Amino acid sequence: MQISVIVALALRNLRRQVRRTLLTALAIILGAGMLVFANALGDGTHEQWIDDGVRAGSGHVTIEHPAFRVSRKLEDRLAADVRAAAEGALATPALADRITGVSAQLTINGMASSAAGARPAKILAVDPQAEMDFTILDEQVIEGRYLQSDDRLAAFVGVGLMETLNLRLGSRLVLTAQDADKEIAGQLVRVVGVFRNGAPPVDNAVVHIPLAVAGEWLGSGSDVSNIAVMVEDSTEVSSLVRDLRQALADPLDAGLATVLSWREAMPALASLVAVDQYGNYVIFGVLFIIIALGIVNTVLMSVLHRHREFGVLQALGLTPRQTGAVVLIEGLLLTTLSTLVGVGLSTWLTWYFLGDGFDMAVIAGDSLANNMDMGSVVIDPIIVPMFSVARTLQTLGWIMLMGILASIYPAFRAARIDVAESMKFDR
Amino acid sequence: MTPDDTRRDVRTDNLWKIYQQASEEVRAVRDVTLTIQPGEFTALAGPSGSGKTTLLNLIGGLTRPTRGQVRVGDHELSTLPNHELARLRLEQIGFIFQAYNLLPVLTARENAEFPMLLQGVSSEERTRRVDELFARTGMNGLEDRRPGKLSGGQQQRVAVIRAVASRPALVLADEPTANLDSASSDALLELMDELNRDLGVTFVFATHDARVMDRARRLVRMVDGAIDSDETRP
Repeated sequence: MQISVIVALALRNLRRQVRRTLLTALAIILGAGMLVFANALGDGTHEQWIDDGVRAGSGHVTIEHPAFRVSRKLEDRLAADVRAAAEGALATPALADRITGVSAQLTINGMASSAAGARPAKILAVDPQAEMDFTILDEQVIEGRYLQSDDRLAAFVGVGLMETLNLRLGSRLVLTAQDADKEIAGQLVRVVGVFRNGAPPVDNAVVHIPLAVAGEWLGSGSDVSNIAVMVEDSTEVSSLVRDLRQALADPLDAGLATVLSWREAMPALASLVAVDQYGNYVIFGVLFIIIALGIVNTVLMSVLHRHREFGVLQALGLTPRQTGAVVLIEGLLLTTLSTLVGVGLSTWLTWYFLGDGFDMAVIAGDSLANNMDMGSVVIDPIIVPMFSVARTLQTLGWIMLMGILASIYPAFRAARIDVAESMKFDR
Repeated sequence: MTPDDTRRDVRTDNLWKIYQQASEEVRAVRDVTLTIQPGEFTALAGPSGSGKTTLLNLIGGLTRPTRGQVRVGDHELSTLPNHELARLRLEQIGFIFQAYNLLPVLTARENAEFPMLLQGVSSEERTRRVDELFARTGMNGLEDRRPGKLSGGQQQRVAVIRAVASRPALVLADEPTANLDSASSDALLELMDELNRDLGVTFVFATHDARVMDRARRLVRMVDGAIDSDETRP
């Protein structure tokens, strides 16, 4: 039998109960649309968290001394030849094309003091030009400016530190830390800019200074603690890590360096993303069940009202299996067409928010914008949805599979009908 | 159309159909042995509950016998699997029901063409056969109407066209005139008589309509599931 006959029959039957079909279609459209948009928003949220996290931390990928992550000591830094090898590998065309930013950083735990007092400080020595492509702090300047390449003895400080130490633009600030010879060394710098990040641990402790100043101050030359690498989005991280580990096999084998993804470098952030993802999956599961119940209801009701018709079809020569196929195709058509509409609408909605993003503060109020910090990372309340063709096709596939599964029982009922009984005339 | 007469007869041998209704056993068909030759115009008559419809369903393979055999041509129906029974119905048997039973989502033409669509008959051939039968039954101009827009008599004529257009050897009609007024009944019987004579299609009716019995050239009377009399007329 021609499949077109079954499809035509299924389409006509769907049109017969227009109101019931439309109501179920609406439920599927809304469900599919919400699934795809929520997925895009969820992925965008996670990407935002990751982006904010890696910019405040050590990048999507970090190349560092194996002991540095735990010790945070100056002595556990990358040697000059390892740094050169890493930067050489990152500059090769195969890797450079995938990278959006590289910043060599020297992390120093020390003290910042002024005439007003002293505070613990997290001092980050950077190449200002490279760091501007990397950090978000240069966009959070409230006074002065970010560091420049030709700056000497300049410091860019958090607003909390500025207030505690009673600093102003141009104020002198003394940084003290253990140098490469494990002696206490001090360095005088002047404040050239102040930032407000929103996360107290950042605003109260972080100081950026030029890498060259730190090299002279601590006797570490051009050595760095780590080389932080940014990519376009987090989905590219695992392949980059794999390729970097291949390219830096010698220093890695010698225990002079390690290559870590953001998940390894920031396990708390990775856990947070994973927990949120699982939460989303639970919600998606509930949505799937609601959609499935809608389909079962429509298709089963339709089957129960059409006993006689299925009897006629079998009397005319349809096999029980073909009769079941009519029902199955009805369910599949309803699901597919509705899902395509839902996915189309949600794709449009996603596209609409791609430009300016979705401002969560509109929903939760201004308080959200001031409180979205997770530890030392402030999360931008503007979420840009992340559209993924693979993710969308996956959702489409799942809903269609669910449409088939939800239609199996009604199809079974139609196939198992007692033909003679179903056509008894209602006397 | 001339069916192969030697292979298209219908035979039942010691046929029984027993239903279990609650704790009671209902013997709907009792030990029926009957042979219907190709081209016959036979009526199964009897009061309600006499087993006419059940016997028709057994001959059409819509229900399976409790005991005995049903043969349509070379096929022993009681042993055929469901899909082969469906194929036999598609290729050799046409049905006409008391309640017309047209598919409500299809037009009159689509209903008439439906069995041929399942058979894989070409579009041109389907159109040719249906056009001819619509013209012959005075249904011209009603081809694109849905069943809901047709009168009972018109619906039953479409059902007859559907039953014969696929060129079955046998048409089984269950109380085809029960819902029609006398004029429509006469017109329908005239049509089936013509088709029987012109196309050689075997018609078997289950009926208690005197007009059908009058026209039948063989009248089999049933009482309590068994054959009471079997009368052949010239």
